[in-house]
Amino acid sequence: MAQNRWLATGNFFTSHRQEQRIFFTHLDRLVFICFLVIVFIWPLFIEFGNKTMLVIDNILVAIIAIYGLNLLTGYAGLISIGHAAFVGVGAYTLATFARLLGSSHVLLTHAWPLMILLAGGVGAVIGAFVGLPALRLKHLYLVIATLSFQMIFQWVINFSKFFNQGQTISIGRVFWFAGKVTRDQHYLFWYYITLIFVVVFGFAVRNLLRSRYGRCLVAVRDNDRAADAMGMHPGFTKVYAFALSGFFAGCAGALHAYMWRGVGFESFTLHHSINYLAMAIVGGLGSLMGSFFGPTAIFMLDIEVEHLSEFAKTLFPAALDLATALRPLSFGLVIVLFLMFEPRGIANWWRIARTYLKLWPFRY
Amino acid sequence: MSYFFQLVASGIVVGSIYALSGLGFVLIYKSSRVLNLAHGQFISLGAFITYALTVGVGIPIYISFLLSLVITFLLAMSVERVFLRRLIGEPIISVIMVTIGLMSILNGLIYLTPFGTENFSFPEFLPKTPITMGGVSISWTQLVGVILTVILIAAFSWFFKKSTLGISMRAVSDDQMASMSIGISIPRVFGLAWAAAGFSAAAAGGIIANITGLNFDTLVSFGIIVFPVVILGGLDSIFGAVVAGIILGLIQQFAAGYLDGLWGLFGTADLVPWFILLIILLIKPHGLFGIHEIERV
Repeated sequence: MAQNRWLATGNFFTSHRQEQRIFFTHLDRLVFICFLVIVFIWPLFIEFGNKTMLVIDNILVAIIAIYGLNLLTGYAGLISIGHAAFVGVGAYTLATFARLLGSSHVLLTHAWPLMILLAGGVGAVIGAFVGLPALRLKHLYLVIATLSFQMIFQWVINFSKFFNQGQTISIGRVFWFAGKVTRDQHYLFWYYITLIFVVVFGFAVRNLLRSRYGRCLVAVRDNDRAADAMGMHPGFTKVYAFALSGFFAGCAGALHAYMWRGVGFESFTLHHSINYLAMAIVGGLGSLMGSFFGPTAIFMLDIEVEHLSEFAKTLFPAALDLATALRPLSFGLVIVLFLMFEPRGIANWWRIARTYLKLWPFRY
Repeated sequence: MSYFFQLVASGIVVGSIYALSGLGFVLIYKSSRVLNLAHGQFISLGAFITYALTVGVGIPIYISFLLSLVITFLLAMSVERVFLRRLIGEPIISVIMVTIGLMSILNGLIYLTPFGTENFSFPEFLPKTPITMGGVSISWTQLVGVILTVILIAAFSWFFKKSTLGISMRAVSDDQMASMSIGISIPRVFGLAWAAAGFSAAAAGGIIANITGLNFDTLVSFGIIVFPVVILGGLDSIFGAVVAGIILGLIQQFAAGYLDGLWGLFGTADLVPWFILLIILLIKPHGLFGIHEIERV
């Protein structure tokens, strides 16, 4: 039967290969390409202030970090409450170079793509090291191992002179083909760079998940004894999940450092680890789409909370700093409510909307 | 040598507080296998309620301490009822993450009050002059704190060994199916475990706040430091929590006393517990007194 490659109303797969396609129909592919084009060209038509661009850049960096956390917590089923520390490892890799060679060394300003990947590599090594207890332990204990990594990381940064005791270590402006990236180009430039990383890594994760190494993660999450019987090595798989997560976190950290033009300790505390976890949960654990929705939703919530507290300040001038109170409150509520009522996150709403549109105008 | 004994004395004081903080954590883990990451928040709640009742309302501190125990008992019970009851049977991952969310919520609620950002200290109600014996000095608050801790831990051990409720809680931790079949209500036991944990956390909070003053970050850090304590002691052993609490208290004091300043190291007291935790996880994950039922992967 000749298939309609543009619109599919049902499941016409005849082989595993077909089922593993990224795009099921040409329409999917077309929509995706249009979306990419829009994402790449909108800055030519609309101009946002630096503040908005900063938020957008932050969301993109967080998406890369959440790729890592989603692989670790969503797909491999290992909770990490030290993800901000992994991001910090990437950022502080750059800081190490800045401290050793000076903040505007050629390596930092010209070879930045290399540095970002290097930071990812360092993150992967540290991630694998932290995941080593996974060779012997199950999830409850791994939570505690990641927590202790977070605490040790904070201590190392806070108490070592080399890292400026947690004060900001500045990183110079980078160069590209058209010369130095100036102040007003800065956020736009990093928007494009981060976007390219998001797209490339997104494809990498998607492809990883349909390869045997990705399925291996899911198998170990669902039942590690069965996975063992199928010839996978659960302990190794977990260490490898930690390394992958560390890689994405490290890249995100390096991008974060370049974008803020400096590395400071306050961006990598336990509080941020919980934020990352909130992003992963709200987006939807164990779904790639969730990695996009989660950071967006949480950053939007953050902005709304800020607006709300500013509004409240005009009403009751006595309330000094409502934002510090409302932020953890709203994040906590969001985590708990999503876990209680929509454990599959926003990605599930996306899935429902898609199925509805696919069959429209029929109900099912 | 008196420096050494001074360190031992303060180590025991700190350690007994760790033991009391670890106790509540173990209670929840023992009955429902949940890691309660919001424990530090309960500790600080207990401290803040005691302070608010003593200074704000003007009740004598002994009574307000007891009242704060009761209030936190009820609060922890209702937290279990609202947030955790409907998660019975869900994967353990989501339950742990709910406690992370809970920690965030309680943080936010505490930041809404002045306690979140400002520092307070209890009015002195005990003699100010420390007790000095052979070059070792302990303040009255510390001494009373240690005595209270010993009494509370003894009471909890008795509760678990002898009382019907305590035995049913141990039964649930042993085998949920079997205890259900002999008529133990599992949700009730979970609720009680949380309530008891809140109770002991509030007690710990009251004692800590009298010794160190009321600072939210300090109080919460006691909830984080229970992890090394309970892992060293074995996650499900009350006795282990006590022993490990005192061991860690001593190690921390020795580290602060002897290691700080060597090789340019500072703040080792904050670091050492976490290294011990990692080492214990690698070589003896069930801790000193935990039961050996770790599943290897």
